[in-house]
Amino acid sequence: MKISEFFETTRISFEALSSNKMRSFLTTLGVVIGIFFVVLMGWAINGLDSTLDKTFNAIGTDMLYVDKWNWAGGRNWRNVEARKDITYAQALEFCKRIKSAEVVMPQGRAWGRQVQFKNQLLNGITIMGVPHQYALTPSGNVFQGRFFSQFEDMNSADVAVIGYNVAINLFPDSNSLGKTIKIAGRSFTIIGVIEKRGTFITDFMDNQCYIPLSSFFGIFGTTGRSISIAIKAGSEEQLDEVRSEAVGIMRAVRNTPPGAEDDFAINESQAFREESKTMRIAVYGIGLGLTALSFIVGMIGIMNIMFVTVTERTKEIGIRKALGATRTSILIQFLTEAAALCFTGAVIAFVICSIAIYATVKIFDLAFPPYIPPALLLIATVVSILVGIIAGLIPAMRASRMNTVDALRYE
Amino acid sequence: MNTPIINIEHIARVYDMGGEKVHALRDVSLNIYPNEYIAIMGPSGSGKSTMMNILGCLDTPSSGIYNFKGLDVKEMDDNDLAEIRNREIGFVFQTFNLLPRASALKNVELPLVYSGVSRSERRDRAIKTLEEVGLGDRMQHKPNELSGGQRQRVAIARALVTKPSIILADEPTGNLDSKTGVEIMRLFQELWKRGNTIIVVTHEEDIARHAHRIVRIRDGKVESDTTNPQSAIA
Ligand SMILES: Nc1ncnc2c1ncn2[C@@H]1O[C@H](COP(=O)(O)OP(=O)(O)OP(=O)(O)O)[C@@H](O)[C@H]1O
Ligand SMILES: [Mg+2]
Repeated sequence: MKISEFFETTRISFEALSSNKMRSFLTTLGVVIGIFFVVLMGWAINGLDSTLDKTFNAIGTDMLYVDKWNWAGGRNWRNVEARKDITYAQALEFCKRIKSAEVVMPQGRAWGRQVQFKNQLLNGITIMGVPHQYALTPSGNVFQGRFFSQFEDMNSADVAVIGYNVAINLFPDSNSLGKTIKIAGRSFTIIGVIEKRGTFITDFMDNQCYIPLSSFFGIFGTTGRSISIAIKAGSEEQLDEVRSEAVGIMRAVRNTPPGAEDDFAINESQAFREESKTMRIAVYGIGLGLTALSFIVGMIGIMNIMFVTVTERTKEIGIRKALGATRTSILIQFLTEAAALCFTGAVIAFVICSIAIYATVKIFDLAFPPYIPPALLLIATVVSILVGIIAGLIPAMRASRMNTVDALRYE
Repeated sequence: MNTPIINIEHIARVYDMGGEKVHALRDVSLNIYPNEYIAIMGPSGSGKSTMMNILGCLDTPSSGIYNFKGLDVKEMDDNDLAEIRNREIGFVFQTFNLLPRASALKNVELPLVYSGVSRSERRDRAIKTLEEVGLGDRMQHKPNELSGGQRQRVAIARALVTKPSIILADEPTGNLDSKTGVEIMRLFQELWKRGNTIIVVTHEEDIARHAHRIVRIRDGKVESDTTNPQSAIA
């Protein structure tokens, strides 16, 4: 087949499609929906990944948290519940012993508290008692004001650094810095606001308030709660070394008998990655299933319409063959037509998808960016053309093998 | 005499209609030389179209020898036959057989698409050929915007555009009124004068009058093969 013939064939194909627009459109619907799912799936996974990356960065990819609780499930809840609290003394001992960490600090946490500004109440806030070193971890990045100093830390100063959601909820249109809020009856002056870190899995991180650890104990006491220990390893490469040292020290500090299971958890951002794996598989599974289904439906539709087209155009096939079209030419003509049909479907799907994704992101204010990876568009295009070729193969073969004389006589 | 373009010997064509055999052609022999103008005549069902289809390489004989320009057609595969049809043969049909959605120009360009001629050359040649058949002002018209005579002229232009060795016309005036038919026959006359080889199937004596050789077929056999003394060769 010559190049000039191929171009002509492609032109003829699109012309044939546009001569029957409604039918062509309905035929491509399966492919449109198939491509729609592929792109949507790609977008969701891409969004999931970028959200997770954000989460990891917010938590800190080189951070470990020694805690009574495991972040991610999979453990026997009763066993975890039965663990003894990590006491402040144990935490201090741990901090003193560990050598491989860059920064290490105990932190107290009080869940579900109330924060009050004048007569405005905000519920469900986690009060975090942290040392001033917290400013050195990614979670301590302030975007307004500053974190508290060593001096304020040591003197149990009544200063607070608030999370992003706390700031926008209590002070929607005014500056929060310098304002006085009440936490558990005690007044604190706001000196900083932590930048927004939360995503759909880690929204809780923006509902926190940070006060000096000493002030925290002043309010909530040191007993009756489990202290957690934040460790900054320094880099991701050092995580393994720091983790194994942490496990050893913690077991020693808590007198865990040799051979017994750890009665504490070492949490890290990877836990979320584990959790996200299930989500990824679910998205992939549903996406691929729906895609395959729509492509199969689409393929049947296209095959059917191509059979109709071939029959309708029997006379045309006869004419073309009489004028010198080879079997291959006829075959390629109808394959091109089927591929053009699917390609058109793909283009329609891209347009619909872009609008749908953009609208979804805008309307629901999603953390997912409205971004479709270009590689995905390429794959979807190639797949749609392949679908067309496969679906068109049998009808096109039938066309190419028609007896010329019979085809010419067809009315 | 010079070598024939077409040489068939003892050609037969049998259609197998589910056990019942239809002998459309039995033992036909014929030589066709360059620049001949032949009319093939005979009653309906005598096998004229069957013979044209074989001569035009649209169909192959059940038995017998067919040499086209010295090449054995029996030895050719599908692609070879397509190429012969494309380069060597120009078809004109009773029902015109134009592509309904394509303009006159596109219809005439079509055989050149399959010869791999470039777009611009296709266009130039199609325009020139349409002008030759007197349709220079109807090139963008679709078949349904043309009269029967004009449609047949488009079909003739399409047959001519590849400069074939032979033009085969199966009842080209069958769907035209007699006045238009005469015009078309005048066009064939013109083409013959310019050196084309033409075979026309007809059952009208009026039409056959134009040819200088008349082959009469009956029951799948050549009944007579005569030069036409009163042919309008003038
Ligand atoms: N495809 C076919 N299958 C079976 N029989 C056929 C086929 N084509 C033609 N025949 C038979 O072969 C015989 C010759 O047919 P053909 O079409 O060649 O006649 P014709 O001379 O062209 O007739 P007309 O003047 O009516 O066009 C007829 O008996 C016809 O029924
Ligand atoms: Mg006939």
